[in-house]
Amino acid sequence: MARVFNWQLGREMSYWYPESRPKKQFAAVFDINKCIACQTCTLACKTTWTSGKGQEYMLWNNVETKPYGYYPLAWDVKLLQELGAQTWDGGPYPGQTLFESARAGERVLGWRPQEIDYAHPNMGEDDCAGRVDKGCSLAIPHMNWFFYMARICNHCTYPACLASCPRGSIYKRPEDGIVLVDQGRCRGYQECVKACPYKKVFFNPLTGTSEKCIACFPKMEQGLVPQCFVNCIGKIRMAGYISKPEDARPENPIDYLVHIRKIAKPLFPQFGLEPNVYYIPPIHAPVSFSHMLFGPGVEHAIKEYRDAPNDPDLAGLLGLFGSSETVVAKWKRQGDWVSGYGEDGAEVVKVPLREPVHVRAGLDPAHGVVRTNCP
Amino acid sequence: MRRIDCAVLALVLGATGTISCRKAAEKTSTEVVAVRRATVPADPADAAWKDAPAFPAPLILQDMVEPRLLTASTAEVRVRAITDGARVAFRLEWKDGTPNDKQAPATFTDACAVQLPGAPDQKDVPAPQMGEKGKAVEITYWRASWQAVVDGRGDTIKDLHPNAAPDHYPYEAASLAKGGEPQREMEQRYSPARSLGNHMAGPRAKPVEDLMSEGPGTLSPGPSNDSNGKGTRLATGWAVVISRRLPQGLVPGGRSQVAFAVWEGDHGEVGARKMRTGWVPILMEGKL
Ligand code: SF4
Ligand code: SF4
Repeated sequence: MARVFNWQLGREMSYWYPESRPKKQFAAVFDINKCIACQTCTLACKTTWTSGKGQEYMLWNNVETKPYGYYPLAWDVKLLQELGAQTWDGGPYPGQTLFESARAGERVLGWRPQEIDYAHPNMGEDDCAGRVDKGCSLAIPHMNWFFYMARICNHCTYPACLASCPRGSIYKRPEDGIVLVDQGRCRGYQECVKACPYKKVFFNPLTGTSEKCIACFPKMEQGLVPQCFVNCIGKIRMAGYISKPEDARPENPIDYLVHIRKIAKPLFPQFGLEPNVYYIPPIHAPVSFSHMLFGPGVEHAIKEYRDAPNDPDLAGLLGLFGSSETVVAKWKRQGDWVSGYGEDGAEVVKVPLREPVHVRAGLDPAHGVVRTNCP
Repeated sequence: MRRIDCAVLALVLGATGTISCRKAAEKTSTEVVAVRRATVPADPADAAWKDAPAFPAPLILQDMVEPRLLTASTAEVRVRAITDGARVAFRLEWKDGTPNDKQAPATFTDACAVQLPGAPDQKDVPAPQMGEKGKAVEITYWRASWQAVVDGRGDTIKDLHPNAAPDHYPYEAASLAKGGEPQREMEQRYSPARSLGNHMAGPRAKPVEDLMSEGPGTLSPGPSNDSNGKGTRLATGWAVVISRRLPQGLVPGGRSQVAFAVWEGDHGEVGARKMRTGWVPILMEGKL
């Protein structure tokens, strides 16, 4: 095992290979607070990439309800139980990563979902954290909570899938950090399926190889965002590239949200993979739950996000989410307008800081009808 | 003569004696002896195997490189071999109470393999663990899931899960002529491993695959693709014939080394997680 630096943990850790960061690292920010679990992203990916034989059960993109939704079943709680309780109050992570806690004979601490575990992608959907007694639903804020979490492969800086493959069939592209399974080389050992904590590699029973999210690299190569991003109804997603913290550039939307404002957090950073999909934590879920999911700093993220209406830069950038099929490499707010620029520097989108609001009278006197509030 | 001995033994020992007698009737050897015949048998049930001595090869854990197998499963594989001077056929038989001929998430198939040094110099053999750099080994690998396909199991999800109800595959759209080239091309697009000619990906005409290796993690397609095989289920396990050409440098009358591996699917064995032997001496009988 080599020693590598994981900035999300604030410390060095053990990894199967030496540190080798790509020239650019694919990354994304998902705003959990805007997700409505319409599953349009899930279907966008399904129809684009996994409509083949043996891929029937695969959802490279899925949206699950937290706390009780999982795909595959119990993917996170099972691993958390395997890893055992860890504490992390900020500063360098004092606990164990999945690489450091690998059992004898293994490269990574992992577990294998059974076929049946994939059979209930909507398990726990819309189940909230507690009982909804009579009248509960009328109380604001609601006494119980749930939220939707959209998940794709995290194109990790230290992928467990890659580390676990005994024949080096998984590679991380040096040009953009996208993690791929070489379909010519894979022999279907399923070590990656066992090792990926996020369970984002899937075994195809008819080709006998493992397959995973490809970050829609044919689109990313053209400066276009992936299918699950462009089809997102709730406009919760922003795709781009992340820098190391010391190289963060405020004009890069991902850097701004993750490194500068620190409002977007990695999922289960304690596992040690340095995952590259970042989440704006849910503002209505208990902080203790978000802390388990996203690590320290959740309180700060929620506070900043809640204050966005008074923060024109943050509000402006959040308004750029889902506004263009072109990857927004740079952004800039000028007064009440926010612009996004492509990698070539050309403006690709311009949105107002605040959408204009039109309030119409309930009654349409010209036609003598009552207006409904349907768009 | 043997039959008379048996009768006497049976009288003396009763029922248990009969079993010992049948065991005693099986010729065993202290090395793998490939007996010379005019042809190599293709079927594990072929009568020709009766005359070939069995080599009982004890299996050990692959616990040298990660991912390792830490708990033992199959204890022994009994090996017979027949050569016709150009090819050699091995008959591997082992106990396995749980047949596994499907691959699926967390579901692994039973399998076995024969490994021979690929180098012409049979005396300077490579490391038994998958060979080493510059000293390749040649491997022929059989798996039960491929055997099931060769024996007629279809190539759809319904063949694995009869109650599966896939609603639509894009390449089965009405606008594409059934069986036409555009349809085939589109189907391939959703199956990248097949498009790339990955041997794992099927569909398969043979239950075996020719491979070579220069150390753990380096398994690749073999120099030739002319091995064949057939596996059948016995009451208590598997009997598999793997037949291949003699490796370069190994001639009738010559000696070399051979190694075997068995994977118990039910025990989650796959890839490096396997039961194996070290090198075992092998003699190729020269004369008919
Ligand atoms: S999320 Fe899983 S599949 Fe994706 S790069 Fe990380 S370890 Fe690999
Ligand atoms: S990025 Fe592309 S491949 Fe990955 S989940 Fe989204 S649509 Fe699927």
